[in-house]
Amino acid sequence: MMRQIRLLTKISLYGMFGLNELRFTKDTRKRVKAGFMAVLWLLLIVMLAGYVGLMSFGLVSMGMGQFVPAILGMAVSLLVFFFTVFKAGPVLFDRKVYEKQIAMPVTVRAVIVSRFLSMYITDMLLGLLVLLPGMVVYGVMVRPGLFFWGAGLAAGIFLPLLPMTAASVVGALIAGIASRWRHKNLAAILLTLAFICFIMVGSMGMGGMDESQLNAVAEQVSAVLEAQIRNVYPPAVWVADAMVFGDIGKLVLFLGVSLGSFLLFLEILQHFYVNICTLLSAREARGNYRMKALQAKSLLGTMVERELRHYFSSTVYVVNTLAGEVLMVLMAVAILVLDFQTIEQNIGIPGVVGKALPILLGCIPMMMPMTACSISLEGKQWWMMQTLPVTRRDMVRSKVAVNVLVALPFYLVSEVLVLIALRPGWADAVCLLAVPAVYIVFGARLGLAVNELLPLMEWESEVRVVKQSASSMVSMLAIMVTAVVPIMILMTVPGISSYLVYGVLTAVLVLGTWGMNLGNKGR
Amino acid sequence: MLEIKNLTKTYKGGKTAVDNLSLTVRAGDIYGFIGHNGAGKTTTIKAVVGIHEYEKGEIRVDGKDVRTQPLACKKVCAYIPDNPDIYEYLTGIQYLNFIADIYQVPGKVREERIRREAEEFGIFPVLGDLVSTYSHGMRQKLVLIGALLHEPKLLILDEPFVGLDPEAALILKGKMHALCERGSAIFFSTHVLEVAEKLCNRIAVISAGKLVAEGATKELTGDKSLEDVFMEVTHHDEAD
Repeated sequence: MMRQIRLLTKISLYGMFGLNELRFTKDTRKRVKAGFMAVLWLLLIVMLAGYVGLMSFGLVSMGMGQFVPAILGMAVSLLVFFFTVFKAGPVLFDRKVYEKQIAMPVTVRAVIVSRFLSMYITDMLLGLLVLLPGMVVYGVMVRPGLFFWGAGLAAGIFLPLLPMTAASVVGALIAGIASRWRHKNLAAILLTLAFICFIMVGSMGMGGMDESQLNAVAEQVSAVLEAQIRNVYPPAVWVADAMVFGDIGKLVLFLGVSLGSFLLFLEILQHFYVNICTLLSAREARGNYRMKALQAKSLLGTMVERELRHYFSSTVYVVNTLAGEVLMVLMAVAILVLDFQTIEQNIGIPGVVGKALPILLGCIPMMMPMTACSISLEGKQWWMMQTLPVTRRDMVRSKVAVNVLVALPFYLVSEVLVLIALRPGWADAVCLLAVPAVYIVFGARLGLAVNELLPLMEWESEVRVVKQSASSMVSMLAIMVTAVVPIMILMTVPGISSYLVYGVLTAVLVLGTWGMNLGNKGR
Repeated sequence: MLEIKNLTKTYKGGKTAVDNLSLTVRAGDIYGFIGHNGAGKTTTIKAVVGIHEYEKGEIRVDGKDVRTQPLACKKVCAYIPDNPDIYEYLTGIQYLNFIADIYQVPGKVREERIRREAEEFGIFPVLGDLVSTYSHGMRQKLVLIGALLHEPKLLILDEPFVGLDPEAALILKGKMHALCERGSAIFFSTHVLEVAEKLCNRIAVISAGKLVAEGATKELTGDKSLEDVFMEVTHHDEAD
């Protein structure tokens, strides 16, 4: 069975990130794009390493070095959980891959393990990227024994196992429940979004580290920190105890719980796996069509309708892109029922809600614009857009319109809630309404522009396009830049008029959208 | 109806897929385009329908250049690829309605045409089902119906008989004849030489990207079979 797992994982990894294609392609443009992406990734890794290293340095300097492994362990686990929960179901129960693999002489166990491993390897690399810089800083400053490094290596390798198993359990449960419904995709989408809401609302209760706690004496802070991590994720503390205090028992406990939970999950899932896959891939064919009156629609109308059907046909696409809109509404609800300080504690940036709420409301739903994947997800069907008598302008308008249409109800609900909660004056109300609205249109157009520049048309799984494509990543970074710059200005320049910043930002975003549309004409 | 002049298409990496190819398809023609695997048939077709860019040459559809007036060319064309990868998330009728909307076929006309064609191809009862439930052949039939909805002046097909059952293949041949009798032209690639010989009034043979034979079917074959002619011209070309 190990051979089967190795082969299936290898094939799955070949498809991921397009590394195999890159290895054999003769297309220099693809190589240049890959090089550009590698530089971008490297930059992000350096930034992440710098951030983790500085944070670790700060903690060790403050005499709280013993919490570095626990904080990093918890950060890795949470990161892995959220990174995996949106894709676990679609990857584990991928219909097309299932149909290809189940016909081969491989066991169900091997199929499940190989899919889990293909996700695990990327998550493990992500975990190591977070863990290593902190470990190095701690190691250089505190000079712990050899066991620290051994336990750290074990942590780096096995930390993702438990959160990934938890995410896969959620994915499997959602797939299992959805498979019994008639509208399977819709059921999976609603269940996943409900789960996101549940987790987000739950995390509000946990609270963050507030300023008063950070300013308190170190011993008190230490006690609070330890208690918080123990409450949220005890295995992080087990790992920390093993690394800092050389507690072998805690290391064994951590490894036992991680491996045990995965094996238990595997044992249970293999009994239901084929059934769930069969139910998910089953399509209802009635074969009793009766001709109804067919209405002719406008070109834009019919293209928008098709885009909407395409969008809601893909669970992984909807869940990953609609999460931002859901967060926008959750934030508006939080503004209605909580005070700014509590929300800012959860965001982790004191003062940000009070000073930059319109920007937050605008950029959160656009962190992952659906248009960033909408061309790539046409995939093998792209020939239709190329050969039908539609212009590039028609395509752009329909894709942007769908993004705006989907975001609109979330925008309206959020705005109503925020306006009720804050009862702002007319100038603030205009900012609260206009900045997010402009952001939504700009984000939709920007996502499409990036996807036109960095399309990924050949893929096996939608997860590759939505979660791993250059277009998704670059769009997210670009939107982040447009939000971080004005937020930084608002928070660091004393006495600056927020209306001036919002005005300039709105003008820049409108000009940006207009500029991208200019590039549209004449092609 | 279709005029290709000195078409040259080189892929990234340097492989010349089509080399200085010229041919003309007139209204009323059923024009067969034959060649080995990788000879350049699909590349030529994809350049005509707007999927591939090309470096040299000129392609005109109904007198209009596909580079400078792509929309006008596409409006009078219909293309059927070798693999019917169509929107799986739509039902059959939604797909056809979408195509009819794109080509602006009036409501009553599309109703009548969809009913007639779908009944003839035997997929009318499944039009309400998702395309993802269709077999390869059923998808092929759906694409064919979609292509015929707007009565194209130029129908371009890439290996249209692959995946079709014998009855559907017979119906398609009848449709091709009928369309040409109404003044349209058909340009299609195939590996099935018997079909090309019986169906086409003109044939072009492509080998390694170059046109190696072209003409009226009867003139081209003379007293030989198309198979003999094909082997002769393609192997002669290889020997050169």
